[in-house]
Amino acid sequence: MADQADFESDAMQFAPQLYSAALRMTRNPADAEDVVQETFLKAYRAYDSFEAGTNLKAWLYRILTNAYINKYRKARRRPSEVELGELQDLYLFKRLGEQSGARESAEKEALDMFVDEDIIEAIESLPENFRLAVLYADVDGFSYKEIAAILDVPIGTVMSRLHRGRKLLQKKLWNLAVEHGLVEPSP
Amino acid sequence: MSGCESAVEYVYQYIDDELTYTRRERIKWHLRRCGHCMSAFEFEELLKAKIAEAGKSEPPAELFDTLRALIEQERKTGDSGC
Repeated sequence: MADQADFESDAMQFAPQLYSAALRMTRNPADAEDVVQETFLKAYRAYDSFEAGTNLKAWLYRILTNAYINKYRKARRRPSEVELGELQDLYLFKRLGEQSGARESAEKEALDMFVDEDIIEAIESLPENFRLAVLYADVDGFSYKEIAAILDVPIGTVMSRLHRGRKLLQKKLWNLAVEHGLVEPSP
Repeated sequence: MSGCESAVEYVYQYIDDELTYTRRERIKWHLRRCGHCMSAFEFEELLKAKIAEAGKSEPPAELFDTLRALIEQERKTGDSGC
């Protein structure tokens, strides 16, 4: 059992990461700060029930996720996993490869055309379930098992959301490159 | 050809380091022999790193103070209550 008096010194180190994740979830700095504040308040109140020595970061993310969902999910109905149809593997790699012909490692170089703002726009365009999975895996570096615990879903669901989320993100990046006139649209 | 297909099937688990040792070694074996798959895997790894980099945002400077004040207030309320 964790001691509530230690909460601040234990948990504060995770505040920047939690804020960053909240910002990608809510897409808005004021809302992100609200969600982080609520997370810290709830976590502080419940800290007696946290088992000291276990995964504090994942525990805080679970509270963050629930705080976000309770507050913001109500209005929007998002498409479920099955409604999106099949997406091609290696979507962006293949598209960029077609652009550059057979030149060695041209696809990797082509990634440089995407600036941080493009990537953020692509992340934020993802349906919520996919966005959370991609954020937790790619930005926060959680394992599939940790993400499953945070989202309270089976590991298979985490994998399916993560894989689809990444493919959707690649499709969005490709569309952005087309919009910006950086690549020729596919035939 | 089937080597490529079965490697690509596991590309995300590979870059996320979520494969069993045997499966991982089998894929490495294929990647050493297939430049195209190797490029594709490196591409996915690089994109993941770019997402990680872009997805991080600096919190507002006063966030720590706000959170500390919030906890302090909650502690006082907790002590005086019931």
